[in-house]
Amino acid sequence: MTELSISTTAATNAPHTPLPEAAPKVTARNLNFYYGEHHALKNINLALGTNRVTAFIGPSGCGKSTLLRIFNRMYDLYPGQRAVGQLMLDQTNILDPKLDLNLLRARVGMVFQKPTPFPMTIYENIAFGIRLYEKISKSEMDGRVEKALRGGALWNEVKDKLNASGLSLSGGQQQRLCIARTVAVRPEVILFDEPCSALDPISTAKVEELIQELSEDYTIAIVTHNMQQAARVSDKTAFMYLGELIEFDDTNKIFTSPSDRRTQDYITGRFG
Amino acid sequence: MAVQGDVMEAAGPYDRAKALSAFKLGDATFYWVTRLSAISVLLILGGIILSLIVGAWPAMREYGFSFLFTQRWAPSADPPVLGALGPIYGTLVTSVIAMLIAIPVGIGIAVFLTELCPQFLRRPIGIAVELLAGIPSIIYGMWGFFVLGPFLANTFQPFMIRIFEGVPVLGAIFAGPPSYLSLFNAALILAIMVLPFITAISVDVFKTVPPVLKEAAYGMGCTTWEVVKNVVIPYTRVGVIGGVMLALGRALGETMAVTFIIGNSFRISSSIFAPGTTISAAIASEFAESDGLHQSGLILLGLLLFVLTFFVLAGARLMLLRLEKKAGK
Repeated sequence: MTELSISTTAATNAPHTPLPEAAPKVTARNLNFYYGEHHALKNINLALGTNRVTAFIGPSGCGKSTLLRIFNRMYDLYPGQRAVGQLMLDQTNILDPKLDLNLLRARVGMVFQKPTPFPMTIYENIAFGIRLYEKISKSEMDGRVEKALRGGALWNEVKDKLNASGLSLSGGQQQRLCIARTVAVRPEVILFDEPCSALDPISTAKVEELIQELSEDYTIAIVTHNMQQAARVSDKTAFMYLGELIEFDDTNKIFTSPSDRRTQDYITGRFG
Repeated sequence: MAVQGDVMEAAGPYDRAKALSAFKLGDATFYWVTRLSAISVLLILGGIILSLIVGAWPAMREYGFSFLFTQRWAPSADPPVLGALGPIYGTLVTSVIAMLIAIPVGIGIAVFLTELCPQFLRRPIGIAVELLAGIPSIIYGMWGFFVLGPFLANTFQPFMIRIFEGVPVLGAIFAGPPSYLSLFNAALILAIMVLPFITAISVDVFKTVPPVLKEAAYGMGCTTWEVVKNVVIPYTRVGVIGGVMLALGRALGETMAVTFIIGNSFRISSSIFAPGTTISAAIASEFAESDGLHQSGLILLGLLLFVLTFFVLAGARLMLLRLEKKAGK
């Protein structure tokens, strides 16, 4: 944990000191993805380290969000989209057609680009997810909701208005509510799909800090267009381009001495 | 900007004030046209209410509030006895049964069409539902008379009697001699007639739910049912209730099909398989041959329907307000 706290302080000004290699939590082997005929992801091989933050960067349309949406099989909602290859969550084959998607999504939570509070009270927004999986008493639920809201760094701001609508919060608060809601279900992996793109700088800083703290307990994947953000929050960074994984390495290395020409061009702003 | 100014000067002096005053005239005209259109709605509504009250006045004076609580309807007696209890009861019972059937089925169809239906089935089912709305009500009436009525009387009612015979309240609801013309027959036809309203509006509002909100709910591990129950319907509550109210308004006022199959009996029976009547059916079947106090009584019935519909709509508004409070808005 000492390493983690070092990296947290370091995050604000310099890239990470690399952490020791972690056991893989999610492993992709020769993963391909198709939107109908369109071949969107080509032979992706990578592993998300347990309790590490992995950032995905790359120009728009490179497939990083698509990759994220395979991890919790979100693409299954839409006909014509399919994934081929191997994708393991520990010993579970994520691509198994017989897999119970509800249980998978309890293990792999997701936070979206835009805040998505449900049309209910703040309390219910959290309790709702917990109730899907557990039957607990009111007092126990109160405790869980508080813990989740504290986990989302939101408790102090909303503790006096838990019965207000989730929609009444500001954008940044809504996003932290969504993070709290995701955490409340106790997933193993949390996917962040450009979580700060609709937020102001202060809210962004809060969410980044939160991601850092969450990485102590969760395996995290984050898609971002903001390279400073990737450098600040992640342990490993994957650079994707035109559906291919170009480079995947320690964040430190990607941002200081990338081995691929295209990575260098992208992070120095020559394209993208 | 400078370039634009030069061009204007070159084209001759441009009188901005004059152009503006022309716009002002247009604006004023526009304002008054729209305002008059809006006011005309109030005028028409007020005029209808007023003429109903004037027409109904003799009957109101004659019967007072007892009109509401009298079951007997004997316009040719001397003096005529007119009571609205039968039509009011029939109107409420048929509408309630119709809504009990149409709301779950209508919303169910909408959920299926928007959330579950494979793409290739979506259009055929959607079009079929729309066509349902286009069938003239007299056709429904005939169908109810020749097809549904015999089925209900010969098959469905004996079946229900067999199940519920001897059960205290339910037994009485289904009891009675078989009849092609009944409250339940009318209610079923009404349910089919209002179904397209509920479905069409529900489909439209379900489509307004942002996909990312649904994804977020699925992302928590919700099943489709949980997403619909906890996200889609709460998010679209106002629209769905609006659709239901529109349907209820239609059910309360539907005349032709109901007149055809309800039996036009003013007697209130505990059985839903007995003939009955509704306010609009009573007016439609008797108005042409009525005069004097009888006609005034029918107009009073019409006024009652108006008031009934008004209260239903007001009640719906109130319910919406309370729901919104509960949701913490």
